[in-house]
Amino acid sequence: MTGMLKRLFLWTIAAGLILPFAVVFGVSINAESNIAFPPTEFSGRWYMMLLTQSDWLIPIGNSFTIAFFAALIAVSIALAANYVLWRLNSGFGRAIFALGIGPFLLPPIIIAMGASVFWAEAGWYGRMEATIISHGVFFVTLPLVVISRGFAALSDDVIDASRIMGATPWQTFAKVIFPLVAPYVVTGYVLVAIISVNEYLISYMVSGFAVETLPIRIFNNVRYGYSPVVASAAMGFAFITVLSLLALSMVTDLLKLLGARRD
Amino acid sequence: MKRFAIAPHLIGLYPLGMMTIFFLGPLAFMVVVSFYLRDPLGFYKVDFVWENYGKFFSSFYYSVSLRSIWTSALASLLTVALAFPAIFIIVGMRRKWQLVWVIGLLALMCLSEVVIGFAWVILMSESAGIPRLLGWLGLWENPRSLSPSRLAMLIGMVSLGFSLVALMFYPQLSQRDRAIEEAAQTLGTPPAKVFFKVVLPIFRPALASSLVTMFVFYLGVYVMPTMLGRPQDWNMSVIITDKAVEQANMPLGAALAVIMLVFTVLLIGGFALATRKEGAK
Repeated sequence: MTGMLKRLFLWTIAAGLILPFAVVFGVSINAESNIAFPPTEFSGRWYMMLLTQSDWLIPIGNSFTIAFFAALIAVSIALAANYVLWRLNSGFGRAIFALGIGPFLLPPIIIAMGASVFWAEAGWYGRMEATIISHGVFFVTLPLVVISRGFAALSDDVIDASRIMGATPWQTFAKVIFPLVAPYVVTGYVLVAIISVNEYLISYMVSGFAVETLPIRIFNNVRYGYSPVVASAAMGFAFITVLSLLALSMVTDLLKLLGARRD
Repeated sequence: MKRFAIAPHLIGLYPLGMMTIFFLGPLAFMVVVSFYLRDPLGFYKVDFVWENYGKFFSSFYYSVSLRSIWTSALASLLTVALAFPAIFIIVGMRRKWQLVWVIGLLALMCLSEVVIGFAWVILMSESAGIPRLLGWLGLWENPRSLSPSRLAMLIGMVSLGFSLVALMFYPQLSQRDRAIEEAAQTLGTPPAKVFFKVVLPIFRPALASSLVTMFVFYLGVYVMPTMLGRPQDWNMSVIITDKAVEQANMPLGAALAVIMLVFTVLLIGGFALATRKEGAK
């Protein structure tokens, strides 16, 4: 009885989370040029348009460029912060770590507004570099936490062994620590890249009028009348996100990383 | 052997510098700009005026603030009420199914607000969504689009925050000590009663903290209200963006954001203090 109820509850939630995407998928493969569901005739032309028209290709390119560099910045900050905390375990290290948690605690609109006036004053308003740096700094929390799990899993034995055998701190880092935390670094990188590609508000407020990213393009399209190309773009997004996470789950144990019980 | 290690401190300067310049810097500068004068031709003129804050004390911003608080509170309550039991059930499933859920939830968490919002716009539309289905089934005489509306906005917000809450509770529920529950069950307590009388009380502090986190999160949503809500449903985030970007009034946008920042910091700080007191008891 309760088993049935439980299953019903979960299925309802799963339906609520998946149904919107099922309908969007239906719209994206429908040949009709107005938004309609269920599809009457199948066609891949909206996907073709997405991948051939420059007004979609440019935002796609912008989004990927921003994500690539922003994730590099975020991961480098997170790795350095974790290394310092691990080496020193002092107030200095903890303060840096706490600073990295900050962006997660604040509503994104405040961060976006701050970034907007900051880059306006710095004269980089409307430049892609501004979006890259802002994304890199504001999405630091996730890799910070993920990489800290990697450092927590380091055993003292290997570090001691490396030191006793005469390795310099740099050699220990490059040959022992980094290879051990590398899976966590990769996971952090992928997560930041995915989130950056998907982010709207900061990109919009920092340089949205000049550097159009994919979410900005979709948003503008939905706001001012849209065609099924938007549906295919949305689906493309969902596919890439799920595929990257699947690939990630092959490399690392996602459940353990997210804190599942060991069994 | 014990000596001041220079290298780690030097390395620490990199994350410290980046976070100070590009995270704290913008926030501090935003406070400065909130006292500037608006320049209709450019961004702003250097000045020191309270005018931008003065504008906040009007019936318009009063109602926007109340609306933002009310909507965020309702959405966070709904989200936690749905996500907590869901994850409670999920951590009891086999590892394979857990992985399926976790990947799905992670994907939803990463997925753009814009994409989730768009999906709901379609699902609630007259031509492709639920209204059409109901009309086709004969349950609705002349179906009309369900969005934009306050309900559509709330549904969009809950589906945006659900994955976040679910993944926050995943480690806690997965690693929880099941001894008390098992004891209660052995004594013949029905599972539903175990959930309400044992699990919920144990997780009361965690539930409270997730409610606060989600409340703050929902205060800052911008895409869902603009896509799925009507202008009379818009929250403070939409108004801030509207003032700063559409009307090019950065000082006013900054002032409103500072007010929101102060409110958020007070809320989080107050909550942290309250839980510390409770813990000390």
